[in-house]
Amino acid sequence: MLRSKVIRIGIDIGGAFTDLVAYNEETGELIWKKVETTPWDPAEGVMEAVNKSKIDPKNAYSFIHGQTLVINTILTRTGSKVGLITTKGFRDVLELQRSNRRDMYNFHYRKPEPFVPRYLRREVSERIGSSGEEVVPLNMDELDRQVDFLVKEGVESIAISFFNSYANPSHEKLAAERVRSKLPQIPVTTSYDITMEWREYERTSTAVLNAYVKPKMKSYLSKLESALKTFGFTGTLFAMLSNGGMGTFRYISDYPITSVESGPVAGVIGAIQIARLTGERNLIALDGGSTTTKASLVENLNPRVTTEYYVERDRWRSGYPIRVPVVETVEVGSGGTSIAWVDDIGNLRVGPKAAGAFPGPACYMKGGVEPTVTDAYVVAGIMNPDHLLAGELKISRNAAIEAIRKIASYYDVSPEEAAWGIIRIANENASGIIRIISVQRGYDPRDFALVAYGGSGPLFAPFIAKELEIRKIIIPAVPPGVFSAWGLLATDIRHDVVRTDVLPLVEEKAEKIEENFSDMESTLVRLFEEEGLGNREIVFMRQADLRYYGQEHTVKIAIPFKRIGPGEISKIKELFHESHKREYEFSLPENPVEIVNFHVTGFVLVKKVQLSEVKEIKTSSVEEAVIGERKTFIDGVSEMLPVYYKPLIPPGKEIEGPAIVEDPTSTLLVLKGMKLSSDKYGNLIVGWSK
Amino acid sequence: MKSDPFTLEIIKRSLIVASEEMFYAFGRTAMSPVIYEVLDYAVGITDSKGELLAQAPGVPGFSGVLDFVASETLEKFGKDLREGDVIASNVPYYSGTHLNDVALSMPVFHGDELVGLVLNKGHWSEVGGMHFGSWTSDSTEIFQEGLLLPAVKIYSEGKPNKDVIDLILANNRLPRLTKGDMEAQIASMKVAARRVRALIDKYGLDSVKQAMGKIIEDGERAAKLKLKELPKGTFEAEDYIDDDGFGNSEVYVRVKVTIDDDSFTADFTGSGQQVKGSINSPFPATVSAVRETYMAVTDPHAEPNGGFFKPIKVIAPSGSIFNPIPPAPTSTYWESMAYATDLVWKALAPHIPQKLSAGHFLSILATILGGVDDRTGEPFAIVEPQPGGWGGWEGGDGESGLVACGDGETYIASNEVYERRLPVRVERYELNVSDGTGHGKFRGGFGVRKDYKVLSNKAYLTLSIGRSKFPPWGVGMGLNGTPNYAVIIKSNGESMKVRRIANYEMLKGDLVSLRSGGGGGWGDPLERDPKLVATDVKNEYITIEQARNIYGVVIDPRSSEVDYKETQALREKLKEQRGRK
Repeated sequence: MLRSKVIRIGIDIGGAFTDLVAYNEETGELIWKKVETTPWDPAEGVMEAVNKSKIDPKNAYSFIHGQTLVINTILTRTGSKVGLITTKGFRDVLELQRSNRRDMYNFHYRKPEPFVPRYLRREVSERIGSSGEEVVPLNMDELDRQVDFLVKEGVESIAISFFNSYANPSHEKLAAERVRSKLPQIPVTTSYDITMEWREYERTSTAVLNAYVKPKMKSYLSKLESALKTFGFTGTLFAMLSNGGMGTFRYISDYPITSVESGPVAGVIGAIQIARLTGERNLIALDGGSTTTKASLVENLNPRVTTEYYVERDRWRSGYPIRVPVVETVEVGSGGTSIAWVDDIGNLRVGPKAAGAFPGPACYMKGGVEPTVTDAYVVAGIMNPDHLLAGELKISRNAAIEAIRKIASYYDVSPEEAAWGIIRIANENASGIIRIISVQRGYDPRDFALVAYGGSGPLFAPFIAKELEIRKIIIPAVPPGVFSAWGLLATDIRHDVVRTDVLPLVEEKAEKIEENFSDMESTLVRLFEEEGLGNREIVFMRQADLRYYGQEHTVKIAIPFKRIGPGEISKIKELFHESHKREYEFSLPENPVEIVNFHVTGFVLVKKVQLSEVKEIKTSSVEEAVIGERKTFIDGVSEMLPVYYKPLIPPGKEIEGPAIVEDPTSTLLVLKGMKLSSDKYGNLIVGWSK
Repeated sequence: MKSDPFTLEIIKRSLIVASEEMFYAFGRTAMSPVIYEVLDYAVGITDSKGELLAQAPGVPGFSGVLDFVASETLEKFGKDLREGDVIASNVPYYSGTHLNDVALSMPVFHGDELVGLVLNKGHWSEVGGMHFGSWTSDSTEIFQEGLLLPAVKIYSEGKPNKDVIDLILANNRLPRLTKGDMEAQIASMKVAARRVRALIDKYGLDSVKQAMGKIIEDGERAAKLKLKELPKGTFEAEDYIDDDGFGNSEVYVRVKVTIDDDSFTADFTGSGQQVKGSINSPFPATVSAVRETYMAVTDPHAEPNGGFFKPIKVIAPSGSIFNPIPPAPTSTYWESMAYATDLVWKALAPHIPQKLSAGHFLSILATILGGVDDRTGEPFAIVEPQPGGWGGWEGGDGESGLVACGDGETYIASNEVYERRLPVRVERYELNVSDGTGHGKFRGGFGVRKDYKVLSNKAYLTLSIGRSKFPPWGVGMGLNGTPNYAVIIKSNGESMKVRRIANYEMLKGDLVSLRSGGGGGWGDPLERDPKLVATDVKNEYITIEQARNIYGVVIDPRSSEVDYKETQALREKLKEQRGRK
């Protein structure tokens, strides 16, 4: 059958740029365009990118959107005025939080300020017990009065979160119906609709943040949708979700908080697709950004998805919990523009302050004078001393040396030695944290391939690989600037449902366990139907969070059974013991086990973006790819290294390190003992000699 | 050979990361909620002399005890330490806090040379003694509080000393849980020991030892830089602890803090003698207490290592409440220990306003509600602290509903989790607005009110609530905060105000209402920005009457706006009445 529509468009809106990547499934052609983001109306930038790409929207059957609007609305506090309706006696849940003092020696410590002030947190009489039984019926008169109060105060969005609603959401449903019938124009968010997990503070926080971003996101999406329609686009509109999948615009309008992380997640999905194309199944996705480097561990091509996500959380701040499925990414260290400095007592530090895009590293000569990681790479001779971006960005090695001199003179060493010190410390931090996150989860980083992308990913990767004895680095052929947008095109349609129901893992409960899973699968079927995808095949994945009776923390395991009967219980238990042993080095086979959370994922699989093979190779030997040589300073040794130009490296031929590989958008140092080759797609593969 | 500064920095960082890894590993694997939720534990790494190189305390109350544990281990065993040994200690006077906190230490060797110790001190849910859960508010000597472990080897050269472990578990009401916690503790320590050995393999013993030395030197240097910024001189404060733990007369406590360029001395001489009840603060705990305020005034983000703490001197006469001798009971030691933190804080607050605040609710309000769950026949227990109000400071109001200074990254458990697991109903969990707070130019934060209703036939309640008679202190014209207490309301309507009770029998339908106090105020309430007062009224933190009577702010009840003209007049009048100006 001839398909009339063969193009898929991915659009990723970042803080500075809006990236478009379009993939023609018939020809394999990949088009990308980068335009400036238009913060006043992001849809404008999207339309500009579509225009410039010269794609005919009529030929596109799907449009996949990654955005930062949700997270930015939260970070800049530019969301709506939210009113919260909650159970009598629990008005202050948002303010009490978990009462921890994260910055424990700071006697001026303040918790994160609630998104809803106290006067807009209104109580109604109602109560559900812990087994889901009704203890106090919902008082409709009180509800009406509180809603009237909120309307009078001018709230633009309402969240409803009742105590124990995870065990029985009927009161939340009832209240929501009432509010919707009274106020059809005000969006309503109920907590159970987003998360059926226990813990009142976390669930309420999730509901409130959804309510906070909902009006803005709704109007943005509908504007974008009508703009695309005017353009002649008639395909399906999707948005990237934090769980690594995508959902329709309709879904994301109701539950915008499920897309709180989208760009970084699309990058991880892109890295998985690269791994798939290069025959790897276990990978560490390394995203080297300007101010931070992030890592994500992927086993068997499945990203780790958890609901333990926070915004604005760091070492000294608790942040706000959002209990939606998010692909786990961990900040592992500094980024390309992180600043090196000497602390009070003479220790060299790198980050967390960064020069960012403005003023940028000193070598960019845009006003930056602080020494950055990029400057260190320039001074050490690893990065091109004259220009970046294929000559578009002139840089100055002298300016970099001047900046680094601050560090060098403090330690009374040469600028090259200081630069090497900065590079080591920047990379050591990242390696240490990657080791922790992998070892903590019971993995040995040596079993993983490192897929490095982002502007500085390739700069960091060889050092991290060396430190962690990782056997293979892959630098994707897709340019780092549009990698996230490319990842959008590798995304399946995916929804997750997570529900708390604490049950002992015993044969007598097998029926109830199966019932929970199949109930949740029906919920997913309904969800896909609502999205207009009812005719598509849905693939389910079951997981559960289990623990030994008495423990608090759980271990997530995949449940590889489509139907669970009494016979499967002991097999599940066995899987849990194994996972527990892997993650924690011990298991307690004699202890009773309980299920805490049920987790079901539904996928509608789509055709993923591919890489086309490199054609027209003009060179036949690696020597022909050498474009010069450069004096480097690595590990205390000054040495001339050959510089290879990536587009000229013929596939399958090996380059022995030490060597430098440049292309218009990134630089890679192949360390001594490593070897590099380019595969048929133009991905760079770095391994170890012998 | 002298290693380059960058290598030493990398080794230093790696030691800190190793202790963080141990901290995280134990938190994730422990069986007791008091470990994984309350984070009632601390881990650290010392050099071969017991100098603390890196530590990760879950609560600040542990920041000063690990070095005492290390010294005890090194003094007792010296040359008899072997690779694979694990030593357990919990005797408060020498190494700690109370018997529940069991410290394990594990030597790390390179060949025959002792390189350092890896330490992990955690709260075990059970160590025997007169009541379930071991710690109690009605003991009069330590032997009633559990089993004493005077630095005993529970593993020798990698092999468990079965006799000792059997003895520990036989004196324990929750042997399975205890064994799980102990194994998790040891597993986490092995991780850190492995990291230290890997550093030696990579960089050589010499570089690692140089880096260890540099940690201590750098820490001390950083501390002295910070000391330079503090006011110099002698600062004093005094206070009273509610009683001796048995309702008898209050206990007088005092401190004299002396700061100069090189040292920070807290002298508690003149404070009361050790008391009959279990509130005595063992010396290591008193040292931890002083370290906490010291961190607050110097650099809250400094690495809490032995070097940084070098300038601190603590003087507490033997036999006093801050340095008790055997057989003084110590199982609710935190009550007095918190006073040591608070006294130093109170002495310095007016002089270091950029770092300190008015007094906070101080007491941990330790709560145990336990018994047998009728539904399952299984024992259950809630063991938890309560959050409360913190003091205002120049520039900001105190935080509400925050754990006390003795706690840190301590999470109050979710009420939904409690209800699912335990036979209780949480009737309310909200700010304790009705008791008020310490008003001021910057007011104190509010305490909390939490009401537990018992749903099983019987349950037993133990409470240790301090600062019930002597509320949190205000600064300048700031008012004092409000007291901590609890009310027991029987199903027949009878009610009783309580603060320290042990194993009080509760019946089905009885309710305990826990109420923590508001923090002290900072500065004159009449100088509070009227807009902030109006916002407080709108948010129902204070009433319109309080705005008028305490703050002299007149608010129009209909518009909720400040009437500035009337406010000015009223404030003039109140100032005169209150004898100011």
